[in-house]
Amino acid sequence: MSGLSPIEPVLLARRGKPDSASIQTYLADGGYTSWKKVLGGAKSGEWTPAKVTDLVKASGLRGRGGAGFPCGMKWTFVPSKEKRGDKPVYLLCNADESEPGTFKDRLLMETDPHQVLEGMMLASFALDVKHAYLYIRGEMVHATEVLNKAVAEAYAKGFLGKDVLGSGLDLDITIHRGAGAYICGEETALIESLEGKRGHPRIKPPFPAVWGVWGCPTVVNNVETLCCVKHILDRGANWFKSIGRNEKNTGPKLYCVSGHVEKPGVYEAPIGVPWETLLAMAGGVKGGRKLKAVIPGGASAPILTAKEIENLPMDFDGVAAAKSMLGSAAIIVMDETTDIPKAVTNIAKFFAHESCGQCTPCREGTPWLHKMLKRIVNGEGKKTDLDLLLQIAGQMGNGMTICVFADAAIAPVLSGVTKFREEFEAYIAKSNHPNFALAAPEDVTNKVAERTAAGIH
Amino acid sequence: MSGPQKLPVAEQAENPRVGEHGALSCGRALSFSSETRSEFERLLARYPTKQAALLPTLWLAQREWGWISREAVDYVATLLDLSPAFVWGVVTFYTMYNRAPVGKHLIQVCTSISCHLNGAGEVYTECRKRLGNLSPGETTADGKFTVVEVECLAQCDKAPAVMVDDDDHFVITKDKLDAFLESLK
Amino acid sequence: MARVTVDGKVVEVPNDANALEACRAAGVDVPHFCYHPRLSIVGQCRMCMVEVEGVPKIQASCTVPVRDGMVIKASTEKALAARNATMEFLLINHPLDCPICDQAGECKLQDNAVGAGLPVSRTSEPRRQFPGYDRTPIGPHVIADMTRCIQCTRCIRFCAEITETGELAFVERAGHTFVWTHEGRALDNDLSACTADVCPVGALTTKEFRFRKRVWWLDKTRSVCDGCEIGCNMSIEHRDRVVYRFLPRVQAGVNDFWMCDYGRFRSEDLNRQDFTVPEIRVASSDARKQTNWGEALDAVKVAVDRARNEGENIASKGRVLVLGSARLTTEENWLLKALFEDSLKVGTPEFVVDEGPKRRIRNKVDGWIYGTEAAANSRGAEAAGLKHTREGDASALSLLLSKKSSSSSSSSSSSSSSIPAVLYIADAAFTERANDPNFVSALRQASVLIVHARVKNALTDAADIVLPAAPLSGKEGTFVNVKGRVQRVDMAIVSAPIVRTDLEILLHLGGRWGVFDTQWTARDVFEKMQASVAGYADLDWDSDAVVGNPPSISPAAAYDVLGLDRNPDVEVFPRPSVAAPDRRS
Repeated sequence: MSGLSPIEPVLLARRGKPDSASIQTYLADGGYTSWKKVLGGAKSGEWTPAKVTDLVKASGLRGRGGAGFPCGMKWTFVPSKEKRGDKPVYLLCNADESEPGTFKDRLLMETDPHQVLEGMMLASFALDVKHAYLYIRGEMVHATEVLNKAVAEAYAKGFLGKDVLGSGLDLDITIHRGAGAYICGEETALIESLEGKRGHPRIKPPFPAVWGVWGCPTVVNNVETLCCVKHILDRGANWFKSIGRNEKNTGPKLYCVSGHVEKPGVYEAPIGVPWETLLAMAGGVKGGRKLKAVIPGGASAPILTAKEIENLPMDFDGVAAAKSMLGSAAIIVMDETTDIPKAVTNIAKFFAHESCGQCTPCREGTPWLHKMLKRIVNGEGKKTDLDLLLQIAGQMGNGMTICVFADAAIAPVLSGVTKFREEFEAYIAKSNHPNFALAAPEDVTNKVAERTAAGIH
Repeated sequence: MSGPQKLPVAEQAENPRVGEHGALSCGRALSFSSETRSEFERLLARYPTKQAALLPTLWLAQREWGWISREAVDYVATLLDLSPAFVWGVVTFYTMYNRAPVGKHLIQVCTSISCHLNGAGEVYTECRKRLGNLSPGETTADGKFTVVEVECLAQCDKAPAVMVDDDDHFVITKDKLDAFLESLK
Repeated sequence: MARVTVDGKVVEVPNDANALEACRAAGVDVPHFCYHPRLSIVGQCRMCMVEVEGVPKIQASCTVPVRDGMVIKASTEKALAARNATMEFLLINHPLDCPICDQAGECKLQDNAVGAGLPVSRTSEPRRQFPGYDRTPIGPHVIADMTRCIQCTRCIRFCAEITETGELAFVERAGHTFVWTHEGRALDNDLSACTADVCPVGALTTKEFRFRKRVWWLDKTRSVCDGCEIGCNMSIEHRDRVVYRFLPRVQAGVNDFWMCDYGRFRSEDLNRQDFTVPEIRVASSDARKQTNWGEALDAVKVAVDRARNEGENIASKGRVLVLGSARLTTEENWLLKALFEDSLKVGTPEFVVDEGPKRRIRNKVDGWIYGTEAAANSRGAEAAGLKHTREGDASALSLLLSKKSSSSSSSSSSSSSSIPAVLYIADAAFTERANDPNFVSALRQASVLIVHARVKNALTDAADIVLPAAPLSGKEGTFVNVKGRVQRVDMAIVSAPIVRTDLEILLHLGGRWGVFDTQWTARDVFEKMQASVAGYADLDWDSDAVVGNPPSISPAAAYDVLGLDRNPDVEVFPRPSVAAPDRRS
């Protein structure tokens, strides 16, 4: 299929070039052409917000932050000027990359910040945004400095500010630092954090496109998604669509491969590239060992066994068909030396630590899962533990909580305990717990939850 | 079981005590230097509400004083017209605001899944051991180093990843640990 | 209005209602914790789960705005399973404190656990603790125990949205989240104990009530606070003649769900009864002696009659000065007028009310309403026909008070008709100045000083006849509040013999002149006085408008009585996490 043939780097085209972060080299490489083009055509009507949005819709671009929602469609949810009156629209670039295993946005921001900024500018044009914010992880200090410098350069060149390039439009960009909270990568929690509060996700509906930051229509887009927007405006929707496995999965994709591989790193490939190709790009499993399991989309994605990932197209629909998710394309490779129970415990600890604490099932459930797993891998497991873990996980997701953090938290537990049960049972067989062999009382299951949990994941 | 209490609860002083999560006092009233104050005013202008400037202002405070004390919370709350309890709630929600003085260098070891698969758990334990059997979050006696574990630093291809203050360090495996710690001293 | 179907039953609810309210309107009591009709919606507790037709996932009903034609299924297996799950999650860390927790018996967690949750615990993991934040005062009236907290944020939202003082906030994150003030500050706004009301569990309780009584032993009687003229509706919670606490009673147009700390903790005073038998001073001997009602009231009649008849050429008016009180019910004040002015013709009784510190309470109709007087019923006393004597007014009382310095040499002149022969004060605590020796000595100029009293003060020390009167908890009658609303108080406690209510004292006194029938109840007096008391004409003693709402079973769910009466200012869209007020824009 031509869509999956190897491509010249697009998003990472400028990686490794000297001084790639500066505006001079960016301009020399043809950067800001689209921004100038669109602004130039704004007054004449040759370029309109609707035209930009249509291009993005036609390209089939799906969000690269984890949810994979069609980007152009999300933009159309913003109410028209007549409907929203005086309320300004805000664009928030989600650079709070915190999903374990993900490191592509950092690379984009550190090596090619103007690509990100141009994407933000073009999206702002499409959405009638006057002030856009880039919310970046507090830990990414170097990337923040690079971005701040790039923003200053853009202002100096007149690409930002009042009456940008004589177009009559104003645009400001502010870089806003987070302070250490994974949950702030969730779009409504990001909005809350930007407003200066604890990062508690909001109830949806209302959706941010209608009622977002400061009560105004808001679009939250991932860094990589906005970079794709720039390239779509550069080279067209058809070009973007020509890359990728099918019309539902289009464009170049950055894959973060880490864990037990020879060459961990960010690899760019057409979206939908087969698993084996990707693994080969990363140099294969470390030390030539056997593959045991892969998490295809960051810690929130269900674990796939080596068998399940065979020949899998690495795109949104392909991975979904295997009952996992591409998510942030954070591929965590685990070879035969991996202790799966300990890995699952590690991920459970992450989620227990990062829960915002708002709603009951997640606040109480994530530490409960972690405590039980820790007890199991510390040699104090009980025979009833594994089924109980599955039941607890089964009653946490699927609408029980305000946001899908709980659904993310239960994914590794459900998939890990189900698919690698023998490893957990091995721990329990060696357990020192005095009550380890006690059977659960007859009526002590949330039988109804069991039946409904069967429909989850 | 809470700490020793001589009086029945109903007869204790009416004001709440400082518990182990409480805001520590730095012992003096605080206010921004004039440069920081100007920077604060500039950043305030970039947001439509005062409250939105809270996280950036707390960063300014941490840069100014190294950590967020009770007095820092009171000061920031006054600057932004927020209740101090609210500001404290925000400070304690995010992990990066220090609520106590830290050592000259804050060593942050990532122990999330990709780093865990590459031995980060051991790196964290060893690091604390070699700096004097520190417990998590403890500072060395000479005040030079504090060691904490953190969640994914988005450097998974360079696992195990460690941040020291604002700087990223890569592939700090157990056998490279000694050299790494030496380089910091 | 929207027509919504809940479990097959169709109800009409306002368009801005949510699914939880629709369920309650249909009589389906969906369990919940964080929802409160006067606080913003947060949808955090995840207890109120229901199924909504057409939506695949389970929903938190408080976060679902109703739509005309919506079909809600609140009792399906899926909904019950979801609630079981939430209840189980809440109970894994909640301490087994019921045996020592004040909230037991009025605890939403206990109540909801009856219908939801599993019969046995499935966990034995160690429970989280909050050393230093458990069983600790968080303010002058509230004790906090964070191990019990279920993180519903009602208290935080109360301080942010009702009092707008923002003392409380969530601290920490994830499983270790708890609620506290910023260090060193107390939860000390003037409505702080309301946080203990809204708290569904025993995480916030009041110091004054701690360990005093199990709530299921408490009898609840409707009453009205007499601390200021706002007249917050309350319930007197008592047992075996002891008052244990006041709780607010819901009244939308007055105090809504709230009560200020000052008014609420006046309960502590009601058990005090310094005078239990009448006392009279015989002749000029210094000490009073205890006596019985017969002797005491006879002595009063004798003194009053003598004052009326002495000196044929001196007008009888002015020889008897009667003081009513804004702390007495309208019925009691009216009896004073009916007896002394209308029948005995000794002149119009007066009353004085102190200016108190400014009190306030908030309701959804008026926002904040204020009370500036130190008593509840100045309007009722005025309506009953008493003269409200203010600073600078000319009246028999002010004349008496102004004469005090020169009165020592007035032995010759019974000609100074400004000094009454009899001063009848129906409430010895009618003013703070009753403790002031100068004030008391001015009143003491009267030849015979008669008081109704419960609590000792300088005035009762000086009095010749002391008639023991019951506190508010023993009374029946009505007060008129700052907005002219007539509100009834009921008798909670039949006073220990031989204390009588002020009403009974006056009936028995009036009975000696044949003016009153001692069998009359407060209701009888109410009905007799209606024609002549402003604002009472069209009222009915038993009507809801006068009686008010019944006390609720649980303060945390006090809104059961209101039905669907939510705050229209609460946004239809659920409001995002609570923030302190921003006053910039």
